Amino acid sequence: MNFYLPTRNRVSSAALTALFLVFAIAGSAFAQQRVSRQYPAGKNVRIELKNLSGTITVETWQRDEIRITASMEAPAVHFNPRQTETGLVIDIVGDNRDRRDVGDANFKIQVPARSSVDLETRSGQISVSNIQGDLVRAHVWTSGDITLSGVNAARVFAQNTTGNIFFDGEFASGGTYEFKSGQGVITLRLPVNCGFRLVATSSAKKISMGDFWNPAMKLIGEGRRITGDVGDGRSSVTVTNYQGPIIFLRR
Amino acid sequence: MNCEKYQDLLSDFIDGSLAPEDRNSVETHLNVCIVCSEARNDLGAIVGFCLEHRGEYDAVPNERALWLRINNMIEVDSASAPRTALPANAGSWVRLMNRSWQLSFPQLAAAVTVIIIVVSLFTIVGLRGFSFRGGSGVQSTNSVPPVGAVAVKERFRQQQQVIAYWNERVELNKARWNPQMRETFDKNVGVIDAAVNDSMRQLSQNPHDEVSEEILNAALNDKVELLKEFAAL
Repeated sequence: MNFYLPTRNRVSSAALTALFLVFAIAGSAFAQQRVSRQYPAGKNVRIELKNLSGTITVETWQRDEIRITASMEAPAVHFNPRQTETGLVIDIVGDNRDRRDVGDANFKIQVPARSSVDLETRSGQISVSNIQGDLVRAHVWTSGDITLSGVNAARVFAQNTTGNIFFDGEFASGGTYEFKSGQGVITLRLPVNCGFRLVATSSAKKISMGDFWNPAMKLIGEGRRITGDVGDGRSSVTVTNYQGPIIFLRR
Repeated sequence: MNCEKYQDLLSDFIDGSLAPEDRNSVETHLNVCIVCSEARNDLGAIVGFCLEHRGEYDAVPNERALWLRINNMIEVDSASAPRTALPANAGSWVRLMNRSWQLSFPQLAAAVTVIIIVVSLFTIVGLRGFSFRGGSGVQSTNSVPPVGAVAVKERFRQQQQVIAYWNERVELNKARWNPQMRETFDKNVGVIDAAVNDSMRQLSQNPHDEVSEEILNAALNDKVELLKEFAAL
């Protein structure tokens, strides 16, 4: 037996469905809290961000200002950036302690190029581009890729447990650079004239030096570690990967 | 001649055994020097007394035995007399510090040897503990000496105790996490555990493998830090 709705009723039901979808989409959009704040800043500011989960993107711009754009899954997430003498501190972890289901908080931060950034999240991706300040620190406690591109800072620390680490930048003379992952691929893309003192350790015995290999380098522990100087060796580079490969690429 | 020289001659002067020239010289000096004159009088009195009472005392039959008895009596007296009167409720530390310590040379040498050994052991254990703890900053990669398998296992055991403590804390809070976070956490702990197990396997084959030891230390430290971080959630 077949049932057919009258034509008028079919039009009404289609309209109701469309209306329902519109409200559903709008509802989910309203459920996401989106906040944008702007702060005056000098040229050498320091941004500290401790996130629970979500993506963090840091970009540079020409203004002497910091702009934070945050979109948060849970509408009731506390988000209280604090201005300090040196810059700005955002502590989502501390501000939401003992709260359940905080959810993802995604940040886009725009800062002057000479800024220092200290970023930390329990999980999620971190992306930093074109920073030329003193410090770039990106720490993902568990899973999440770290991408540092166009970075020319005196100190760079990037660490995750699962996920890739990609660095495309330069090593400053006398600088310190550390990259550490549990399982992902660590890729360092450097200019050919880059000089550094290297200690690279990969338990998986997968260290590809590419054009940066030279005969003076030492292979230790059946190829699990490579040490030696590249160029003038003026900066210190430590790369550790428990299970994944380490790859050096020429820019 | 000064007074000192004259007083050296006084005994002979009193006995009358000085040469005439010296005798005249001493007499002239005694007439003008009160100090030497008094010394002459005192010495003369002593000599006169001895001469008068000569033969009144018998000689001691055995001088050495007498001195031994005197010495024994002095030692007994000093041993029986407490150094200081301690109150009845004095603590053990006070009593210990109030004791008189007399050590023979072998005892002293043995005590010094024991102190040296204990200090050396504490220093070695302390240094190894320091290198094992490492840090979250720059890893020391080429200065840690290889150690034996026993030391590695001991440190592994100690670190496992720390891990067990923080693991308990994490488990208490885990129920509050959302399923996605629980899954992510477990997966990443598994990655670190794999690195630990791999290093332990390498070290069991080659106990002096410096690279494996450093990876083991780093992985264990990472695990502790991860647990601490998530225990606060």
